[in-house]
Formats: sequence, C-alpha cells, structure tokens
Amino acid sequence: MVIKHKNIFPTESPWSNTDKLLLCLDTGSWRTERPVLDREKCNYCGLCALYCPPQCMRDKGDYYEVDLAYCKGCGICATECPRKAISMVPEGEFADG
Amino acid sequence: MVSAQKGQVRVITGNAVGAYGALLCRPEVVAAYPITPQSEIAEQIAQFVNNGELDAEYVEVEGENSAMNVVLGASVAGARVFTATSSYGLVFMYDALQETSGYRAPVVMVNANRETPGIHAVSSGQQDMVSTRDTGWVQIIVENDQEILDQIIMSYRLAEDNNILLPVMVNYDGFYLSYLAEAVEIPLIEDVDAFLAPLKKQTPRQKLVPGVNIGCGTHGIEMGYVEARYKHCQAMERVKPKVDEIDKAFGDYFGRYYGGQIEEYRTDDADIIILASGSATGTVRTVVDSKREKGIKVGLVKLRLFRPFPAERLIEALQGKKAIGVIDRSVGFGWKYGPICTELRALSREIGTAPILSYIDGLANLDITIPHIERVVDELDTAAKGKPYQEVTWIPMEE
Repeated sequence: MVIKHKNIFPTESPWSNTDKLLLCLDTGSWRTERPVLDREKCNYCGLCALYCPPQCMRDKGDYYEVDLAYCKGCGICATECPRKAISMVPEGEFADG
Repeated sequence: MVSAQKGQVRVITGNAVGAYGALLCRPEVVAAYPITPQSEIAEQIAQFVNNGELDAEYVEVEGENSAMNVVLGASVAGARVFTATSSYGLVFMYDALQETSGYRAPVVMVNANRETPGIHAVSSGQQDMVSTRDTGWVQIIVENDQEILDQIIMSYRLAEDNNILLPVMVNYDGFYLSYLAEAVEIPLIEDVDAFLAPLKKQTPRQKLVPGVNIGCGTHGIEMGYVEARYKHCQAMERVKPKVDEIDKAFGDYFGRYYGGQIEEYRTDDADIIILASGSATGTVRTVVDSKREKGIKVGLVKLRLFRPFPAERLIEALQGKKAIGVIDRSVGFGWKYGPICTELRALSREIGTAPILSYIDGLANLDITIPHIERVVDELDTAAKGKPYQEVTWIPMEE
C-alpha cells in the first residue's frame, strides 16, 4: 500500500492547534432561516448568546452578532429574546442565502 | 536492569489484587463506580486514598459512563489514571470507551468479566469483553490473581508507550477470580517505579494546557477521521510485538513470564491443541497432563491478547496441527461458533487443514470442569484421525 496522504495531525493522537487548524464542519450551510438582529430593540442582555446551542453569538461590546459560518438557524435566540429583537428570515430572501 | 527484590507474599482476593496493582502504579486520578463482582476494587482504592497510601484524586461518580469520561479527561490533561468495572458498567460506558481510544488516551482499566444484559445474570462469562471488542481498546485476558497484578503493571508500560498510546482493558473472570484468595507476591513499589521508569524518559505526551488553544479528538471530519483511524489501527499492530517485549522485560526483572500475546503449554510436539483463555486454562493444563500420560499428544494455547488478535503468534503455534478445539465463555450472535473461534477461523488458510471445533462452555458461572475438557480432548483426538466430528458443541446443553 502506498500512502499518499499528508498527515493533518502532527502527533500520533488526533491533536491540533485550533488557532491554525479548526477542523469544524461549516454547519452554517445547513441553515434554512437566518436570525436577523434589530439593533434598535436589542439592549445587550446576552440571553441569545446564553441559549445559543452551538455558541455562535459573537459579543460585539454593545450588541451580539451571529456567526453565520456556524449558525444552523434553529431560532432559539429569536424565541428567547425578551425584546423580540431577533427575527428569523428565510435564506431565500438573501442574495448569499 | 538487575532483578527486583522479593516482594511480600499475601493471600488476597483477585479484587484486592486489582486494587494493589493500581496502587503500585501510582495513578493520579481514579474514578470508579461499584458493580458486582468488581466493587471491592473501587472500595479498596478509596480506602488507599483516604488513609494516605495513594496520593490520587478519587472522583466519586454517579455511574460508569461518568467514570470513564472522568478518567478520559484526566488522561488527556496528562494524568496517569485507573478505573475498574464489569458487565452492565462496561456496556454503560460504551460511547466513552470509544472516545477514550479515539483520543488515544492511555487509560488502564480492570474489567471483572461478567455476563451482559438481556438475561439478567449476576455470574461469570466473557460476554462483556466480547461486546466491547470493537471499541478500539487493547484487551488482555489473565488467568490468576498474580497475573492480574503483574498485567496491570505491564499495561501501564504498554498504554503509555509513545508508540502505542492506547487504553488497555485487563480482563479476569469475575466471581472466579474476584473472590478467590490466592498467594500473591506483591512487588515493592520502588521496583514497580523502576519498571515503569522508561516511560519517563520519553518525550512527554501532548496534553491539554489551560489558555492554549489546542484540541483533541473533536476535529475528526473528512480526512482527519480517516487519518486518526488509520493511525489507531497501525498502533494496534504495534501492540502485538510490544506485548511480547514488555512480557520479557517484566519476566527478566520480576522473574515471572506469561508468554506475551499467547502462552503455549506442551504444544511443540502436540497433534491437537485446545485454545482457551482466563481462569479455565488451569483446568485445561491439568487435563493436558493427564491425557499426555495416556499417550494423547495434546497441548494448550492460552489466549492472553484478545484485541489486537495475535494472528502471527497463533499461526506459528497452530500451523500443522491435526485438530484444534476452541473454548469460548461467550456467544457470538449471528455466528454458530463462539467469538474466539470465529476469529481463529479467519486464520484457517494460514493454519492449514486442521478441523477447528467450537465449544461453548462456562456461561453464567457454569464451571468448565475436568470431564468437560477430557471430552473436548477425546473429540479432538477423533477429529484428528479424520473421523466425523461435531463442529459446534454447547457442552452444558448436552449434559
């Protein structure tokens, strides 16, 4: 058997430096609806970030931004937001959706 | 390396031996949940920690799944770890077993073999070990109390070797050995330190460091998964010669040899062979001796390594024999043969034309007796002469 594969993991065990190599699935591609934030309504309470299952709400100092690379569009943030500042919009309505 | 000093000889049970084996290797984290017939190990180690004999973190967990996950986490953080379980406990940690081997965490675990769920059986049998065969662990079967102790020490040397880095499960027959008190020589802890010292000369293995962005085991997508699996399987192949090498080093130092992957007893000039494992091999040895006196050239191959399966050593030991009988203390659902027999049959072509007879015996604490083994020898003798034979025999069902 001729091995052509170049090792991804430098060690015998599957360790990696996550700054250089984060072998995560791009789960954002699974999404059918996208959370859209209304910054006028958001009061930076942080409940969306607390409830987000894949932890992809990024703290921007006075509001939260969705990391679309990993957001699966489950809508839990929109449901939990006490000020209804997040709405779920079908992906088809976006140019990059 | 000179020889070890003479250890203290004590008459203790297999479970107590398991606890002493762990104590001597100085694990830093132990997490175990009590389950019959292993509970004494969990209790005894808790006592060692409580009375200051063992400087370890003892984590009381709510079940076996947590026990394995705790020792996995501690191992990935760089600690030497130990745990023990049996039967329902072993299968309750099934996913964690796979995580542990996938992370290549050198966990050492004792498993007191017991029947598994389906039909509630608080009794001995190897079904638990067989049910976790494909979890990526190294699985070793031992025969007596002394071997439990010695194999735990050897297992750390194997698991933590940088060329191996795999978890090791030391299996012994629950009930039979758990509660059997035998004379056991307990080595001095400084001699065990000396035996394990080569591990300290290695480059320290990668571990989790607070504040450093490194990950283990979670990035197994696409080629990462394939690569990790390939390396794991290659490491399994390296385990086989390593077990022989460590057995020799152990024997040279402590004076007790176990044969490594397999032990051969009177096999050289044997025509027929019994392949057996665990505590029943003592009975087989007795019958081999008595049948030899009657002129039947029979030998025993004791299987010590179940995973990885010692293919090369078995081929060498069994090539050219005239009949082989395999005694399984478990069943293989979907194969009419017992699990060890099924594995051996994968080597049929290399072994030769010898008929391979499967015997299922010793399930659920039914003794594998001398008359049972005598019957096996007589049937193998008949098969070796080219006469018709029964391929699979459930010995207790014919009594």
